[in-house]
Parts: sequence; structure tokens; C-alpha cells
Amino acid sequence: MPSSASASVSVSASASASASSTTTTASGAHSDLLTRLTSSEFEVQLKALRELKNRIIGNRTKKLSFIKLGLVPPVAAILESKAQAQVQAQAQAQAQARHDSNLLVQSAAALGSFACGFDAGVQAVLDAGVFPNLFLLLSHPDDKVVDAGARSLRMIYQSKLAPKCDFLQEKNMEFLLSLLNSENENVTGLGASIIIHSCESTAEQKALCHAGVVKKLISLLKGSLSQRDNSLESLATVMKNNVEAVSEFVGSESGRALSSVIGLTKDRYPRTRLLASMCLIVIRNTSACYLQDIGIKTKLVHLLLELHDDPGQVGDEAPFAFSSLISEKPDLQKLAFEANAIDKLYNHLQKSQLHPKRFQGILLALADLCSKLESCRSRFLSLQALNLVSDALTHDSSEVRTAACMCLRCVSRSIKNLCAGNFLNEMIAPPLVQLLDDPSTSVQVAAISVIGNIAVDFTMRRSLFVQCGDNVCKEGIFMEFTASSLASVICDPEPFVQEQALALIRNLVDGCIKSVELVFTEDGMILDAVRRQLQNASTDEIWIQGMYVLSNVASGTEFHKEAVMHQLIPQEDNGTQSFILKFLQSNESQLRTAAVWAIVNLTFPSCPGSFSRLVKLHSAGIVSQIKSMVNDPCPDVKLRVRTALGQFTTFGDCST
Amino acid sequence: MPVRVAESSAPSQLSGSNCGQTSPSACSLLSVGQAFSGTQNVSSLQKDEAWRVNVRIQGCDLEHGYLCGTMEALNVPMADTPVVTFWEGEIVDTKNYTFFTGKWEATPEDDIRHWTKFPSFSALQSHVEVDGGKSLDLSNYQYIFMRWKEQYFVNVGTDCGLTIAGFYYVCFSCSDGSINGFYYDPNSSPFQKLELKSTNEGRQGFSFSSYELR
Repeated sequence: MPSSASASVSVSASASASASSTTTTASGAHSDLLTRLTSSEFEVQLKALRELKNRIIGNRTKKLSFIKLGLVPPVAAILESKAQAQVQAQAQAQAQARHDSNLLVQSAAALGSFACGFDAGVQAVLDAGVFPNLFLLLSHPDDKVVDAGARSLRMIYQSKLAPKCDFLQEKNMEFLLSLLNSENENVTGLGASIIIHSCESTAEQKALCHAGVVKKLISLLKGSLSQRDNSLESLATVMKNNVEAVSEFVGSESGRALSSVIGLTKDRYPRTRLLASMCLIVIRNTSACYLQDIGIKTKLVHLLLELHDDPGQVGDEAPFAFSSLISEKPDLQKLAFEANAIDKLYNHLQKSQLHPKRFQGILLALADLCSKLESCRSRFLSLQALNLVSDALTHDSSEVRTAACMCLRCVSRSIKNLCAGNFLNEMIAPPLVQLLDDPSTSVQVAAISVIGNIAVDFTMRRSLFVQCGDNVCKEGIFMEFTASSLASVICDPEPFVQEQALALIRNLVDGCIKSVELVFTEDGMILDAVRRQLQNASTDEIWIQGMYVLSNVASGTEFHKEAVMHQLIPQEDNGTQSFILKFLQSNESQLRTAAVWAIVNLTFPSCPGSFSRLVKLHSAGIVSQIKSMVNDPCPDVKLRVRTALGQFTTFGDCST
Repeated sequence: MPVRVAESSAPSQLSGSNCGQTSPSACSLLSVGQAFSGTQNVSSLQKDEAWRVNVRIQGCDLEHGYLCGTMEALNVPMADTPVVTFWEGEIVDTKNYTFFTGKWEATPEDDIRHWTKFPSFSALQSHVEVDGGKSLDLSNYQYIFMRWKEQYFVNVGTDCGLTIAGFYYVCFSCSDGSINGFYYDPNSSPFQKLELKSTNEGRQGFSFSSYELR
């Protein structure tokens, strides 16, 4: 192996030639190849191209070493000169034309080989500037050249590095249609590859539909094996989250297009079965009205589980397709559970030397399975699968580490197991904490989510009578945050952050009565911030959390209750209505509930100040509002209103 | 067709709301974090005995008729410390669960025998005897019926001399948060009564927390 001085994949020919001259015999052969590729003799060049192509096929190490030695640019140069020559001189001597065709075929094939399944190869080919010239080959009179050009371009389009095609430009769309309409299988395949690689936005999907691409792709379903596979994958790309395209497809040929895709889930080739099921999953996920039949759902579950057994790429991709089938869908998760999915995935997980992509996919599929159903989590834990997932927390691949965290996150939603402390152990906790310093941000984010779940300490509150521990913990949290930073996060620009901050305060002042004092530090700036949000914010979620903060504080001492009154009833009588009146009239029943609870707490029986507070609430129009809610449509509100009214009557009829 | 349980002052229904929904409406007193305390009567023919009991709701999923929490028994004679158990509850919403238990060695006769101990059940009895109450719409009823089944001991081993083989028939009052229950275990004293009240934990009012697992 030559040891190149440069790690770059696009080294110049001269630099690498000089590097190779000082290395071993093997690289001597390489430099000989370089000389021959740049020879002026047709036969020498052709032989060199064939040799190069044969040596790199399926051999990533060889590809990389040849790229480093600068063998891509001379191959690109051959292709360029002959492709341009073809354009410039139509009438060439037949013999010359044949020579040129052979060189074009071989150089295109060699470039395709460099690019096949190897991003460094794709980059080297793109750097050599040969990409546009490969497109020129598609209009060559010799079919073999067209074929070689299309194959080579398809290899490039398999990579994320390939340039995107902008379908919104008319000439590009015309070009794409000309590819899809070609008689040549590799050219239509190229058209499909370009769609799969480039179509991302809804606008692009729509442009493709309007240009008749869906119809064309449906016709390709009847073509050869590769055309069928390409068509399935392109259809999935065009229909993903695009209701319009889905309904066009489903309605096509009186439903025969859909039936033929369903039929392809029984094809003899695993890849076709996988692509057909992915296409159906896209249809179902985009328009929930289709494919609701239990038979097809069960069939997809079984098919995808079976495809996990494929040792190759199909098996690597199957768990991702399975995830997209069951994600967020408890009915499908249940079907999968009944199909023994947890055991099957666990068996795959047990295999040694799993490809990282497959490992990641299986962990994510298990995460989706355990995201909602306790039966799945329970089965997962009974298999001791936690051991394998905890090993995955220290895997070399950051994708696998992230997936392991996501799997743990979903399994740790089991309150039954959280209460038993089943996740707070030596096997899980230390590696998770270490992941907080992981070089990958997505791993850190995933790890903190799991820690957020497993650190919920249910047992700490187990005794209603031993609550000091609860308060010590809360004070600790409060000291870390400080009142002023909590007050500022309550007023964060993001509504979601405001809501979460208010929920945090609500929980801080719940539990031990002492914890209510926390919101009175620094002149009650937190309470003032809560009131500002209740007056100024504009979402029910924020109001609900804010109202529960006031309600919880109002369940405290006389001092606490008076402080809440101060926030509720405007001091100066300038005609402003209290926000609580607006909340009591809200359409959101949870907000009405929170508001009525605050009133219940402010007028709690046997509290010395309750009567005077009731008088003030009456003057502010709140008591009559509560009275009007005695038959509230929400049973919970109605019952709380009745509790409040019951309390009012204990003070006599002051409120009328 | 679901049959609505008659209520003395039935509220007018919001048009379009609760369409096809039979699970009980959320009751804020039966939400996560809420605490209850009281006693369980464990008297036998030999002697009268009652244990102090604390309960806290730890999880609630009304859509699936699921509730769970912890139960702490305080003056258990053979234990040095309070004994804490984790229980899971089935809410009788007639969608996920009916009044018929169908497991835990409880026959429909056992079920009816226990449910009828709750005065609030009498309005439902005739429907329940037919099909376990499948035709009932309990979403506006002031009481929530449940079965609580202890799953494991949190702080002691299984060798503590106590059993959690049975389960509780439970009736929760949405208006004041009081809980009544009867423990059923063919091998224990029959009709051990559980009586709990919503606790304010030293407060002059009610306080509510919320949490969400990621």
C-alpha cells in the first residue's frame, strides 16, 4: 500500500505521481497505469481503462488508493475528449468512432466504479469536472455509450454528494421526462434516481405530478425488475406527505396501480418487497384514509419483520421501514407486538458484529415499539434486552449511541418500572451520564432526555409525612436557578419555554407547604412575572400553567392567599377586568378548572381572611361569574364550582 | 346504544362534544401527584385491626383506562417500616374495562357482590348484571369505579410475610376526592374496607402538580 502524504481525495496527478515514484512495486504498477492512461495510443489507453476498472470493482481500499494516486482525472480527461469530439465532429470515420465509443464506455464504467457505494469516489469524480460530460453521453448515437453513461451517473446519484436537480426549471423537467420516456432501462433508471435524490420540497413534488411523472412511473411498474424497483422508490419520494400525489396514484387506472404495488409485496425479490411496502407505508402515513384494512396492516408488519432476516442492504433498511410503519400508531404497535416483534428484533440485536446502520435501525424500531404500549416495554424488559442497549451506549458509532438513548427513553416511560427504580443502576446510569460529554450534540440531547425520565424520583415522595427531603431538593433546584433567572425564563420569547417555566414553578410550589415561600424571595418577582404572563400571553397552555401557580400558592397560608388576591384583583379601580374573569369564561375547560380551584382555595373554610376575600371577589364580579357556571358542560368544572358555591354559603349571603 | 346514567341535575351537553367517548372525563382530584390518606380495616374474627394507609397517584392514562400509584401501609404489625407497594388500576370506563373482572379469581358474582357495597353503584346494577355495564356511558357520572391491583413491594422483600395476591374494588367520588374500596382475595378476610380522603398535606386548600415523561 502506498502511503500518500495527502489525505485529500482530489490530489493532482503530478503530486501523486511523484509520491508513487518513491514507494513500493505495487505503486510502481499504479504509476505505470497512470502513464498508460495518458498514452496517445488507443489500444494502450483502452487496456489500461479495463485493467483499472477490474481492479477497483468492489474494492474500497483499492479505490481510495487509486484516487489518492490521481487516477481519476486522466480517466475523466479521456471521457471528456471523446465526448466533446463526438459533439464537434459528427462525421467521423467508422473505425475512429468505434475506438472512441470503446474508450467512452470503458472510461465511464471506470468512473462509475470509483463512485459506486463510495463517497470519496463520488467526490473525486465530481472534482474531476466530468459530471456534465457524462450527461453528454446520453445523447450519443451508440447505445452502449448511452448505457455506460447512464450507469455511471446512477452510481453518482446514489450518493448524497451528487448535485441536486432543480425540477422547477422547465428545461430540467423536460430533460427528466426525456429520461423517463427513454427505451433504455438504465436511462429510465437514471431518471428515477434523479427524482429520488433531488425531490425534497412539496413544490418539487407538485411540479413532478403536474408534469405527468406519477403516470409515467406507474407505467414503469410493469417494466423490468430494476425499472419496477426504481419506480417504487420514486413513487414513494413523490408521494411522501403529499396528499395530492397520493390521491392521484390511488385513483390511477381504477385502483389498479395501488393493487399492483400491493401485489409486489409478494414478489420473489426481497428488495422489491421492501420497496413496495415502503411505498404503501408512505401512502398510509400521508393519507390515513387508505390502507386501513387490518389484513394489509398485519401483512406489512409480518413482511417487514421477515425482511429483517435478509443479510444484506434490505435487512439493513428493513428496521427503518418498520419504524415508519408503526411510529406514533398504537394500533400497529399492538399488531407488531402480537406478531412477536419484540422477540424477533431482540434476536437480531443479539447477533455479533451488527452493521452500525442495522444496529441503529433495530434500536430505533424497538424505541418506536416501546413508545406507547406498556405490554411492549414489559416484554422488552423481561428479555433482559436492557443489557444489550446499555452496551450500545458506548458503541463507536454516534448514530448507534443516539438510537440506544432513544430506545431507553421510550422504555423508561414505564411508570411501573420507574417506581421500582429499575433504570437507576450501575449498568445504565454511569454510561448515560458520560454521554452528556459526548462529542456529538445529538447524543447529548438524546442522553439528557433519558436522564430526565429516569431521574424522576417517585419513591422520594412515598411518605406523605416525611416531606423534608422533597423541600431540600426543591430548594437546591431553586438556588441553582435563582429567582431572577426563573422570572426571566417565564418571560422567554418562546411560548413553549414560557409554558414549561410556569409548569416548573407550579411544581416547585406544590408538595411541602414550605416550598410556597420560594416564590416570595426577591420581592416576589416570580409572582409578578406570572401575573404579567397571565395578562399578556395568548395561549391556553401558558394560562393553564400560570393559573395553577396562583392556585397552588393560594392553597398556602393567609399571607400566601393575600398575595394571590393582590395579583388577581387590580388595586386601582381603573375599570380593568381581572384576567381570571376571562379564564372562567374560556372555552378551554382545563383553564376554567384551574381558575375555579384558585377561587376554592381563596375562600377555603375556616381561614380567617376568607370572608373578606369573598367580599372582594364579589365586588370584582367573580362570584356572580362562578354562580353562572353551576351547570358547566365540563363535569370537573361543574363539581369544582359546586365546591366553591358550598364554601360561599358558609359565609352567609354576602355574595348576592 | 350507550345508556346515560340518570343524574339529578343533568347538565346540558355541549353539542358535538364527547361524541362516542365513554371514558370518564378528567377529574382533577384523580390526577397525578394527588395524595389520599385513611385506613384499611383488616379485622378478622379474632381481633379488630386497621392499618393507616397513604396513597399517591403516580400515573394516569384515561384513554387506556389506566391509573397507577403507590400505597403505603403505616402500622403493619409484622413490619419494621411502613410497607410501600406499587399498584396498577383499571378504570371501569366500559370501553377498556367493564365491571366484570374476568381474572384474579373473581367471578361475575364476586364482582356484583363487591360493587353493590358502594351505594353509588345501585343506579347501575341492573345494566351491569346484563353485560358488565358495556351499554353504560359513565363519562358524566360523579363516581369513578376502578380495580386496583398491587404489583410489587417497593421497599420490602416478598418474604415480608404480607401478601398482595388480591385486588381492590374501588369507588372514587369526583366531588370530594374520597375513595372507598374493598379488598378481594379468596384467601384473606372478606370485604376488608379501604377508606381514604383527599389530603391537603398541611395546606389550606388544594394543590396540583404535573409532569410528562419525555
